[in-house]
Amino acid sequence: MVLITVVRDYINRMLHDISGMKVLILDSQTVSVVSVVYSQSELLQKEVFLVELVDSISMSKEPMMHLKAVYFLRPTSENVVLVRRQLNHPRFGEYHLFFSNMLKDTQLHNLADADEHEVVQQVQEFYADFVALDSHHFSLNIPSNHMYTLPAVVDPSGLQHFCDQAIDGIAAIFLALKRRPVIRYSQTSDIAKRIAQEALKLMYQQESGLFDFRRSEVSPLLLILDRRDDPVTPLLNQWTYQAMVHELIGIQDNKVDLRNIGKSSKDHKEVVLSSEQDPFFKANMYENFGDIGMNIKKLVDDFQQIAKSNQNIQTIEDMAKFVDNYPEYKKMHGNVSKHVTLVTEMSRIVEERKLMLVSQTEQDLACNGGQGAAFEAVTNLLNNEHVSDIDRLRLVMLYALRYEKESPVQLMQLFNKLASHSPKYKPGLVQFLLKQAGVDRRTGDLYGNRDLLNYALNMARGLKGVENVYTQHQPLLSQTMESITKGRMRDVDYPYIGNHFQQARPQDVIIFIVGGTTYEEARVVSLQNATNSGIRFILGGSAILNSKRFLRDLEEAQRIIRTSTNVI
Amino acid sequence: MATRNRTILFRRYRDALKSVRAPVGSSGRALIELSTASLLNPNRSYTPLSTEDPGTSRGTVAVGLPPAWVDVSEEIATNIQRVRGKMAELSKAHAKALMPSFGDGKEDQRQIEALTHEITDLLKKSEKRLQRLSAGGPSEDSNIRKNVQRSLATELQTLSMELRKKQSTYLKRLRQQKEGSDGVDLEMNINGSKSTRDDDDDMDDIGFSEHQMARLKKSEAFTAEREREIQQVVESVSELAQIMKDLSVLVIDQGTIVDRIDYNITNVAASVEDGLKQLQKAERSQKQGGMVMCATILIIMCFVMLVLLVLKEIIF
Repeated sequence: MVLITVVRDYINRMLHDISGMKVLILDSQTVSVVSVVYSQSELLQKEVFLVELVDSISMSKEPMMHLKAVYFLRPTSENVVLVRRQLNHPRFGEYHLFFSNMLKDTQLHNLADADEHEVVQQVQEFYADFVALDSHHFSLNIPSNHMYTLPAVVDPSGLQHFCDQAIDGIAAIFLALKRRPVIRYSQTSDIAKRIAQEALKLMYQQESGLFDFRRSEVSPLLLILDRRDDPVTPLLNQWTYQAMVHELIGIQDNKVDLRNIGKSSKDHKEVVLSSEQDPFFKANMYENFGDIGMNIKKLVDDFQQIAKSNQNIQTIEDMAKFVDNYPEYKKMHGNVSKHVTLVTEMSRIVEERKLMLVSQTEQDLACNGGQGAAFEAVTNLLNNEHVSDIDRLRLVMLYALRYEKESPVQLMQLFNKLASHSPKYKPGLVQFLLKQAGVDRRTGDLYGNRDLLNYALNMARGLKGVENVYTQHQPLLSQTMESITKGRMRDVDYPYIGNHFQQARPQDVIIFIVGGTTYEEARVVSLQNATNSGIRFILGGSAILNSKRFLRDLEEAQRIIRTSTNVI
Repeated sequence: MATRNRTILFRRYRDALKSVRAPVGSSGRALIELSTASLLNPNRSYTPLSTEDPGTSRGTVAVGLPPAWVDVSEEIATNIQRVRGKMAELSKAHAKALMPSFGDGKEDQRQIEALTHEITDLLKKSEKRLQRLSAGGPSEDSNIRKNVQRSLATELQTLSMELRKKQSTYLKRLRQQKEGSDGVDLEMNINGSKSTRDDDDDMDDIGFSEHQMARLKKSEAFTAEREREIQQVVESVSELAQIMKDLSVLVIDQGTIVDRIDYNITNVAASVEDGLKQLQKAERSQKQGGMVMCATILIIMCFVMLVLLVLKEIIF
């Protein structure tokens, strides 16, 4: 409950002390922050009768002095300019400014300068600068996510902007939780080191007063990882409910956009998938596709029973009971049809793209050995005309990541075949991926074949057999979490930054993956938390990835590097 | 959760900058500075004049006063408060009526009836006023009105559901009591009949029929009363059902996409744009409308006829 509760508390505090009719003004990023934890009906209960974006509200001219304005913005220079303009021509009776992160002195000065009419009643910093998707999972929704792959020389200002936003988000998390962490980072990643250093500077030097919370217990651990240590997880196709919906359709801020689907009904153009508000989703979000099918069938059967009994109204008491239960009945109806629509659409996509076949090979590539068999399987699928371009690309990438050092001839064959079959494929993308996330650049043991212990464990797991071929993959994150739980994380791989070390096991661990997290990893974190090992894990990243987003980031990065090298 | 209050520093900057600004500026601005200084108490409910030129001073009359529809919403809010008070009274009356008493219980019944009627009337009246709140035309004001309408509708709906529940529990308990008392009567009758049986055989027959007649009359009275109660409940159920049907259009379903803030923002933007386009289209089609053409032609014809008439008079 932690992350969501904290953001809700911030919003409650914002609205609680201000009486009367209010208008809430947000920017495009804080809209996401607020929308995932607070509903419109709750805002109405707090007498907030209008919600606007800060850039669109400056266009309207009518003054509404009976309303009090509550601003909740990120402290960017653009927002300060907009607020200044609005303070010069105030439309509302009172202005209460809340910023989601630390204001610079110059910004405060500028705001004070613009407040000629003295309409500003308070200026506060409420550190809700992250999107709390779940109780253990957050995202910073950084739009320029592809920056993390670029070397610093290509676009230093863009990279600085990315790092700043990441630091802002991380700082907000710790301020919201009122802790100051010990920081470790992934050794092979420059950007992880950079973010770790800047976070250290912020928390221990620049704003050490703000971060100085009581340190009676063990400090939490902030672990900064790089997406490129585990490029396999975002490339795989998923078969557990939440991850699968994001992979096949796409979830944004806990909303699913169904408008591109041909025959969705009128009230399901967009649906909400939130574990807080939907108990069926909460129970099934980590279940695999087969089990979901059964559970949905049960849900539909239950609903049909109720519907039938509702039609069978004979006495006055029945009528009264129907009227009483109608709102719940309507809600259940909406919920059932939402899940049925989603599962139907996903089944259709699975059938169309032959994902059962493709995913089996993907899982083999990710988990088991056997280079020869793998090569044959990938070649067959590349020749299969039903397989879509993006799936072909993914298969070749997965093969290349696993067998990049073995048999380069066959690898070249696959590249050529890929280029010939997929007209839209940008050549060199796979090689680019290898350069970024190849075996030399990765920390940790992605395939479990680096040291003997992992190799043996893998063999044992292979011999034992696996329950479900499609969900056998475990992201690298689960190994990392295990090593933290057992206190076996090596300093060589994940060094500390600064002089703050930790002897004991931490009780809270915040893992930040630069480049984005996936819902599969969120699932693994949730299951780990449920084992009550004494350590609470929270996962966050600069964005939420699925294979489309991951490939898009790679393509964008490749394009930027190409244009910059052409210029130079 | 940590927060940091920057208001004090902000005020300090603001005052410092104000003292820098004050000597510079036109007389109009000096006027405003004076008025600002005198109205510096934080409890003012409206802001002083705007810095626009005094030509727009007529706008200042509307400044600070909320628009007229706010009165309607406040009236509904006070009605809701009254309903809440009366529901508390109703609960007490229900409890009193359910307690075993020596009296007839008729005045308790009447009180309950009266209270229920009052509450239902208030709810119906509020719901009718609520419909008036919706305005035409997309604008920021109309969004606020829509949202105010929604929140009041949700409150009204919860109140009507509460009333329904109270009524049904009361009725259930009443039925239980009545059946219980019937059973007790039955027992007494059996005992009574048993006792009279021992006395006289002749008397028994008469006694039985008398007892039977008395019992018949009592059960008739009970049935009539229960029928009346059921009738009452049916009436209030149908009234409340009507209210709920009307309200359910306005109330937001929790957990759906309509309850999301970002969805409402993008929708508002889209509908405002749409509305603007519609208005522009309407304006254009009006201008090009056949009606305008016909009207102009008719007027021209009228003038022509008038001129002809005058000419006819002059010539002949």
